[in-house]
Amino acid sequence: MIPLNTKPKGPVPSPFSAAQQATFDAGFTKAVAKYPPERSRAALLPALHLAQDLLGWLPEAAMAYVGSRLDIPPARVREVATFYTMYKLKPQGRHHIEVCNSVSCWAMGSEDLIKHCESKLGIHKGEITADGHFSLGEAACLAGCGYAPAVLINNYRYAEHMTAEKMDKLIEELKSAPGNKMADFPENKDTGRAH
Amino acid sequence: MAERIKILSKDWDKPNSWSLETYLASGGYQSLPKALKMQPQAIVDEVVKSNLRGRGGAGFPTGMKWNFVRKETMTPKYLVINADEGEPATFKDRAILEWSPHMFIEGLIIGCFALDCHLTYVYCRGEFRDGPIARCQQAIDEARAKGYIGKNILGSGFDLDIHVVSGAGAYICGEETALLESLEGRKGYPRLKPPFPANAGGGLWKSPTAVNNVETLANMPAIIEKGGEWFSSVGCAKNGGTRLFAVSGHVKKPGVYEAPMGITFLDLLNDYCGGMREGSTLKAIIPGGSSAAVMTAEEAVWASDFDTLKAKKTMAGSGGVVYLDQNTNMAHALANVMRFYAHESCGQCTPCREGTGWLSKLLDKIVSGKGEKQDIDNVHQISRQMEQKTICALADGAAMPAKSFIEKFRADFDALVKG
Ligand SMILES: Cc1cc2nc3c(=O)[nH]c(=O)nc-3n(C[C@H](O)[C@H](O)[C@H](O)COP(=O)(O)O)c2cc1C
Ligand code: SF4
Ligand code: FES
Repeated sequence: MIPLNTKPKGPVPSPFSAAQQATFDAGFTKAVAKYPPERSRAALLPALHLAQDLLGWLPEAAMAYVGSRLDIPPARVREVATFYTMYKLKPQGRHHIEVCNSVSCWAMGSEDLIKHCESKLGIHKGEITADGHFSLGEAACLAGCGYAPAVLINNYRYAEHMTAEKMDKLIEELKSAPGNKMADFPENKDTGRAH
Repeated sequence: MAERIKILSKDWDKPNSWSLETYLASGGYQSLPKALKMQPQAIVDEVVKSNLRGRGGAGFPTGMKWNFVRKETMTPKYLVINADEGEPATFKDRAILEWSPHMFIEGLIIGCFALDCHLTYVYCRGEFRDGPIARCQQAIDEARAKGYIGKNILGSGFDLDIHVVSGAGAYICGEETALLESLEGRKGYPRLKPPFPANAGGGLWKSPTAVNNVETLANMPAIIEKGGEWFSSVGCAKNGGTRLFAVSGHVKKPGVYEAPMGITFLDLLNDYCGGMREGSTLKAIIPGGSSAAVMTAEEAVWASDFDTLKAKKTMAGSGGVVYLDQNTNMAHALANVMRFYAHESCGQCTPCREGTGWLSKLLDKIVSGKGEKQDIDNVHQISRQMEQKTICALADGAAMPAKSFIEKFRADFDALVKG
């Protein structure tokens, strides 16, 4: 556990493999270049996205590392990471499925679709399947309301006009697709924080 | 039916409508050189004449907002784009970014020139990374290669950089000051106003800043090409132009439709969306995103412009329209809506944090069949106490549906409770 309120003394170890590090560094340089030089801390959100894309979630070590690159104390990084729902503070399934349950999707049957996912995957919202393949959640309106119900896979891929049959097909497809990167991460264990 | 006027959606039926070729072939990037030869103030004057009202939700006159920023002497000045599109039932900025990104980008360059802004950010919700953000970035890259973005644009001496940044899942970051906080790299806590973003001390990095919606800016090429007066003549009084209505719910053809400002909800339903779907009759309308007060089927004859709906105690909001049918239980619908606000309240203000929490709990109790009549009255009472008391308008956006669902569909609530 890294102390939250004080800046760590000395360099903060990177949570990335060598290949991941190169990807992170390239993305980080691009992200920082979007802001005036004295405003580089604005790159915190994009930098956290980058780290999460590589690791599949945001372990404490990744937050501390990103903070050190931007000269932001760990407490402030964590404040940001906990505020936004796309940042995952514990490991997710290799494929994380979120079903929108806001008003338009609700009117078009999103609650039934969520129940269908729960029984198909054998888990409740907020849980991960035993084999680690899938986790399930609810999303707030995804701006796919006219194509309801809308589903978001791994934070970026949309599936719309969903039905139980289409959901089953999608789940089958995902089983053999590469997922988010959580499985690659050596410290792949729950940090005990709920999100 | 008269020929439909299409400003924003005119290219959507064309193949690769998002590409530079398609946009150029349909007359795109003709307004930009024209604007760059105008005085910046003359552009703002045209926007004032156009009666363009902000399409993000509040319907604030865009020309007036821009004049606030122009009056400030502090530099740099910023124009920041709100592409957070988080209001439930709203999906029209996404349509622009995916299908006509160049029209928006041309509008944005014109807007930046008018405000003397040399660095602008398009703040998109994070979930848009794969689709709308990718399309928007591609359009920016194409425009840059053509010399429409960068140094000395088209030899005018005007420099501009455009960057797309993505949020990370927080409805509140659609509120303009929360958006600025988030853009600066912090959690999205709305700021206490004044100072307003348009004024020194209130905007991005404390600079004078206009925050505008994607659709608002996408109208600029047409305003420059055809003039503010023409644009104003398209809509209705004090509401210029067309609007993209994002229609969802129990209609035959949900989708994004462009119609003149002020079209009635009945005409929008029947002439554009094919009416209600088989077996459905209209029961209720959410007119402008879930934060707007609900309307009954009889009220479908109301005009959809900002001023009419304000006078009717609801709002045109984001242009997200939901038509709900007879099988929708409005108490269940409100319970769903309130779960959203309770989840999305940032928690800074007590009336909002506690209010949305209590409303959600009470409504869940009512729809689970454990409620009493008193609970319904309490929901109504609490929502009234949340109005106009908070740092931002999220609390009002939660109170408006709570009050109106009960006032207009009380029977649905009564049927679920004892006593
Ligand atoms: C809780 C809340 C959420 C909002 N969400 C959005 C949004 O997602 N997109 C948007 O353009 N405006 C949103 N707004 C409105 C903005 O605060 C602001 O009025 C708008 O971006 C101004 O642009 P315009 O004048 O071009 O409409 C929201 C407002 C509130 C109070
Ligand atoms: S009204 Fe609600 S969302 Fe807005 S600042 Fe207050 S607590 Fe946050
Ligand atoms: S309500 Fe589900 S995408 Fe908008």
